[in-house]
Amino acid sequence: MEKILYQLESLLRRQISRRRFVAIVLGWLLVLLTDNVFLKRAFAKSEASTGRSPRGLRGEVDLAVAEGLDPYANTVAVVAAMGGMERFVAKGSTVVVKPNMAWDRSPEQAANTDPRVVAALVDLCFKAGAKRVNVFDVTCNDARRSYENSGIEKAAKAQGANVYFADQWNVVKARFSHKSPMEDWPILRDAVVCDTFINVPVMKHHSLTEMTLSMKNLMGVCGGTRGLMHSGIGPKLVDLTQFISPELTVIDATRFLTRNGPTGGNPADVVTLNKVFAATDPTLADAYACSLADKDPMTIPYLAEAAARNFGNWDISKANIKTISV
Amino acid sequence: MKKLVALRRASQILFLLLFVGILWSTTYPMSGAIPPEIIFKLDPLVMVFLSLCGRVVLPGAVLSLIMIAATLVFGRFFCGWVCPLGTFNDGLSSLRRSKRVPADASNRKIRSVKYGLLAGIAACAIAGFQAAWFFDPLVIFARFVSLNLIPTVTMGLDRLFVTAIQKFELYGGLYDFYRLLKGSILGIRADYFSNAWTILIFFLSVCLPVLLVSRIWCRMLCPLGALYAWASKKSWLERKTGECTGCGACRAECRMGAIRDDGKTVPGECILCMDCVYSCPASITTFGWKKPARVPRPGAAGNQRGMTRSDFLLLLAASASFLGFRSRLGLAQTPPAKAGGTAAVVRPPGALPEKDFLDRCIRCGNCMKVCVTNGLQPVFMESGWEGIWTPQLVPEIGYCEYQCTLCGGVCPTGAIPKLSRAVKQKQVLGIAVIARNLCLPWAEGKSCIVCEEHCPTPDKAIKNEKILLGTSLGRKQYLLRPVVVKELCIGCGICQKVCPLRPSRAIRVDPAGKLQPQ
Repeated sequence: MEKILYQLESLLRRQISRRRFVAIVLGWLLVLLTDNVFLKRAFAKSEASTGRSPRGLRGEVDLAVAEGLDPYANTVAVVAAMGGMERFVAKGSTVVVKPNMAWDRSPEQAANTDPRVVAALVDLCFKAGAKRVNVFDVTCNDARRSYENSGIEKAAKAQGANVYFADQWNVVKARFSHKSPMEDWPILRDAVVCDTFINVPVMKHHSLTEMTLSMKNLMGVCGGTRGLMHSGIGPKLVDLTQFISPELTVIDATRFLTRNGPTGGNPADVVTLNKVFAATDPTLADAYACSLADKDPMTIPYLAEAAARNFGNWDISKANIKTISV
Repeated sequence: MKKLVALRRASQILFLLLFVGILWSTTYPMSGAIPPEIIFKLDPLVMVFLSLCGRVVLPGAVLSLIMIAATLVFGRFFCGWVCPLGTFNDGLSSLRRSKRVPADASNRKIRSVKYGLLAGIAACAIAGFQAAWFFDPLVIFARFVSLNLIPTVTMGLDRLFVTAIQKFELYGGLYDFYRLLKGSILGIRADYFSNAWTILIFFLSVCLPVLLVSRIWCRMLCPLGALYAWASKKSWLERKTGECTGCGACRAECRMGAIRDDGKTVPGECILCMDCVYSCPASITTFGWKKPARVPRPGAAGNQRGMTRSDFLLLLAASASFLGFRSRLGLAQTPPAKAGGTAAVVRPPGALPEKDFLDRCIRCGNCMKVCVTNGLQPVFMESGWEGIWTPQLVPEIGYCEYQCTLCGGVCPTGAIPKLSRAVKQKQVLGIAVIARNLCLPWAEGKSCIVCEEHCPTPDKAIKNEKILLGTSLGRKQYLLRPVVVKELCIGCGICQKVCPLRPSRAIRVDPAGKLQPQ
């Protein structure tokens, strides 16, 4: 014991030469500078991503729409009409449910997705055997206020979903096979690394794109300076939709904000439609929303772009649509 | 076992933790948290002199008188047992190697300075100029905790987690734990405060001198200490030395220099730290109540002096300072009309007119700590010397959240009034101005509606002009150009926050704009 103590003490009292001191400092500097490289080699995967590959899932019908006073029941009905959640969610899988909860507004103000629609989807995912359901959004107002006052945080948590704040550092860089204005745009990693992506926008007015629908809602998985996406928005949103390739799009048309979107705030601008509809094709879902709002889909930049690229079906007369009354 | 010292230390640590804890939880949603303004409501220096200076009775000012009353009985217990700055100073001086004990003569000089400061603050307050904030120890410590300590600690923890998660790809349990922390105690972001280094330097220049002489700030400069010292000169609880031999052991130990060469206590200087109870070799130093006979009772025999001429003149002078209180007892629920004086900076919603605001704001940092968007920032010199560390809204960092009323809720002095949501949403902070030589649609013909899209007023204050560009493929092509409707704009600054142009935004809030004829 005494020997050990002696050794320890002599170690502490050891004088080091200048040469040795410099060597130690340089050695540590070398380790600090290179550890990043080695660790990255050893552990990290590439930061770039080409996005989710479309799984080509189809519903029993192209689009199902339910009308009724209870948004929860409407949502259950449209998913059942599409062939049930089991078609889209495999057992033990990780699901992202991406609502629009970007604004510090109450459900009645219709700027965010109705919490009951989100709750129904989370519940259906778990019933279909999902291991984990993630709910998040990159908000425009303060995230805490938006999550709480939209009512979605509480409703989704009650069904067992993981509701959390999106981290701007946890992103991948988008890569495309064609030349895209979205090249290198930061996209939330959690939106890309998942088994099923369910997009749940609310249908509402927007000054630039006329309507905020499913493709516009996907801006909520983007980081960076999102304001820059607004010039030449059509091609950007179609590329983004291709990148994410949502398996299912459920549009909440329970309340429709007709003016002063996307923030709203005046109850007089809100029209009650009491509808929820779902499709596997985002273009079709958005085109159907236009027909509900009496808009020409071709005036909507991203739908015009989708039509020009033949991305999805924008012509609802060619689609197999099932209408349900709940 | 130094029981009394252990008790005092426990109390100091408890109050320090409580203080930091209260400020840590001064953040959204503020439900169930101890309101941080209570710290300053219990501070007689702030409450009394602010009331005097503004000729109003601040709500809760009575609470601070409780502290004075307690000091009349127990002496300067606050300085020794409660004050977090005192605790911090005690901790720092434990790092001190050599102990210097100033001689009686220099101790006398040292301790008289703080009374001069207090008199100066009082004179300023009577003249209507608020100087109480500058040397108030609670304000100094609260500002340090809110704007330096907590942001640094949260930033450090956040970086630690993010680095670990990113480097080692720990996107599983650790990431979930990090998200849990983010949703609770860590907060969704580590706040950033501009000019925070000036606050740190001021704080250090207050604290570091204790490395030379213990509690030098408390002895020499602290005006709150002076106020309590003055109140405690005849306190009922006192130090008793019995048959003291004058060995000087306690004198060398005393952190306040409150013991004279002869072993007697200097009135008003003892902070009841209890060290001398245990350093006394003869164990005759104790603390106990004064004998009742020594408490002067007005009206008792031999004490029927009544009021002298000088008492009367003093009373008259003191009363004169309360002139102008008029009908301003109690806090008006609606902010007074904006009249005269405008700031060079954007003030928080509902803030008093600039002159009154500067005299009411104590720069405690509560509003900046609680601001949900981190938009409220300490001013350095932008609003003049007297505006240092007052809050301003910097929309590039964070805008004023339309539905949020937190900053008014935590202001201890009413410089930012408590407002209902409906009233707050009508407060005009400034007017947004578009720089048409920069704005994408105006200057370059590119489409961008980001400011209009985010504008929170139900009837948007930013409207789009629809300009027909021409016809392509049989469809009319339009360009939307934003214009500000001054009558609707409240100057919340979200447009400036989200404007995608760098380095300077094409739309910004002009604080003077609200005074221009509309």
